[in-house]
Amino acid sequence: MAKLFRIVKPLLQAIHLTKDFGGLRAVSDLTFDLHAGEILGLIGPNGAGKTTAFNLMAGFLPATSGDVRLDGASLLGLRPHAVVRRGIARTFQVVKPFRRLSVQENVALAAFGHEKRRERAEADARARLEFVGLAAQAARFASDLTLGEQKRLEIARALATRPRILFLDEPMGGLNPSEVDAACELVRRIRASGVSVILVEHHMKAIMRISDRVVVLNHGVKIGDAPPAEIVQNRDVVAAYLGEGHADA
Amino acid sequence: MKIAATVLAILALLGAPLLTANPFVLHLLILTLWAALLGAAWNLLGGYAGQVSFGHAAYLGVGAYATMILHLRVGWSPWLALLAGGVLAAVFAGPIGWICFRLRGPYFSLATLAVAEITRLVALNWESLTAGPMGLLVTTLPPLTIFGAPVNWESKAPFYYVILALSALVTLTTWHVARSRLGAFLLAVREDLDSAEAAGIDTVRTRVLALVLSAFFVGAAGGFYAIYYRYIDPDAVFTISLSVEMVFVPVVGGIATTWGPIVGAVFLTTIGEVFRDRFQSGHLIFYGFFMMIVIRYLPEGIWGRLSQWWAKRSATAAPRTRRGTANGKSPSPTPSP
Repeated sequence: MAKLFRIVKPLLQAIHLTKDFGGLRAVSDLTFDLHAGEILGLIGPNGAGKTTAFNLMAGFLPATSGDVRLDGASLLGLRPHAVVRRGIARTFQVVKPFRRLSVQENVALAAFGHEKRRERAEADARARLEFVGLAAQAARFASDLTLGEQKRLEIARALATRPRILFLDEPMGGLNPSEVDAACELVRRIRASGVSVILVEHHMKAIMRISDRVVVLNHGVKIGDAPPAEIVQNRDVVAAYLGEGHADA
Repeated sequence: MKIAATVLAILALLGAPLLTANPFVLHLLILTLWAALLGAAWNLLGGYAGQVSFGHAAYLGVGAYATMILHLRVGWSPWLALLAGGVLAAVFAGPIGWICFRLRGPYFSLATLAVAEITRLVALNWESLTAGPMGLLVTTLPPLTIFGAPVNWESKAPFYYVILALSALVTLTTWHVARSRLGAFLLAVREDLDSAEAAGIDTVRTRVLALVLSAFFVGAAGGFYAIYYRYIDPDAVFTISLSVEMVFVPVVGGIATTWGPIVGAVFLTTIGEVFRDRFQSGHLIFYGFFMMIVIRYLPEGIWGRLSQWWAKRSATAAPRTRRGTANGKSPSPTPSP
């Protein structure tokens, strides 16, 4: 089965990706693949380099070395908007909606990338808001939404750029249990719509439930890359989260 | 009612030189329209795109010198040279924006200040081109006839119509941009650069476009200054006080609004002249005092506050208007349930 998977060309590849901040190596020689139609979980303790890895792949930070390839073509050196146009959209860990614009305008702005006409962009925006369940809030200011709604707004905005891959940076952080369930369901629907997903998340139960595969980072180094059921058995992963003493437990 | 008022205002503006023979009144109107032109041009970049430039005198100076040099040395008609001055200021602004827009917020503002100072020093020292501190002087303007009638350069009327046309053009441009895709991108850039990039917007290109557009009008205003006063030197057109005045006009009138710069120009020019008359250079104290009051109590500007009040009055549901723009394309937010 694993062999079969390798034959299919990966959609996105991180290849020996490395990022130094001064003397600190935030991401070290990170290599992994994302396949079309996959939901990939990216986990690790605080400061493991998950968000930095996101920023490297989305063009928000220049890599020290290594490469990122979408369909075999390097994304290195592209600025974020250019990466978006190639088909990778993202959300932010700390939500960044256009606070003084309406929910509708927030999403329409992203749709403007491929729809020059305002009415078409706005129709597209309405469809995305419908998809994430924010249609009723379309006319409100983004700053008036709850945190959960703002996170969904960012997802709608990212989807409006018509991505092939969606990077979600902690979409469940700070949400209550029923909102977490709704977020899981939304991620599944996004995948069903043909968009591959990589998500950084601390909510273990959720990530183990929805991911097809999980990549684990610790101190910038990949220490695990397997389906959820195998990851929880991985000694290094357990040690990284709970400390050495628990690895044998 | 609204249409009648608009027609009346346009007729009054067009007929002003016929209504008054007093050159001082016309001079005040020209100063007001000139300030409105500068304020509206700055507003495109500083208001809509939120990129606060403290160095727009650089483009004013480049436009003024280009106009003067093209007229004096190349022999172009002053009005053609004025437009070329605007174009050259825009061309000059492009690469500067490309470099400076790698910086964000206050760092960008500081960089613009430095650029203006550098251009002033270049103009001061490149004597073969600019005549340095001596400045450039044009004694007589070439004769011009419009529809068979010779233009009287000694009267202020022809200048009035030129500056009226330029400020009408910048206002129309602003009105159009505010409703276009570019206008939407400018708002996104103002709100959050990272989010704008994440939405697929090329934020450097968007900001450079706004700067180039802004610099064109400021350059043309510089060209107008050169022809109107018939004399320029580096300290007159590259001065930091001009850069600052360009910021004050939309701040007083209403940032990121189409009509705010006009309102701001009327207030500031009037106040400046009234107090200059009474107190000589002491008028700057009152000018500064007025600015402090506006910034403290009317941060959205006079026009901004008026249009908010008007929106509140006309919508009985009284939705909050917090976006700080009053260009008519704001969303009509439904009150939260």
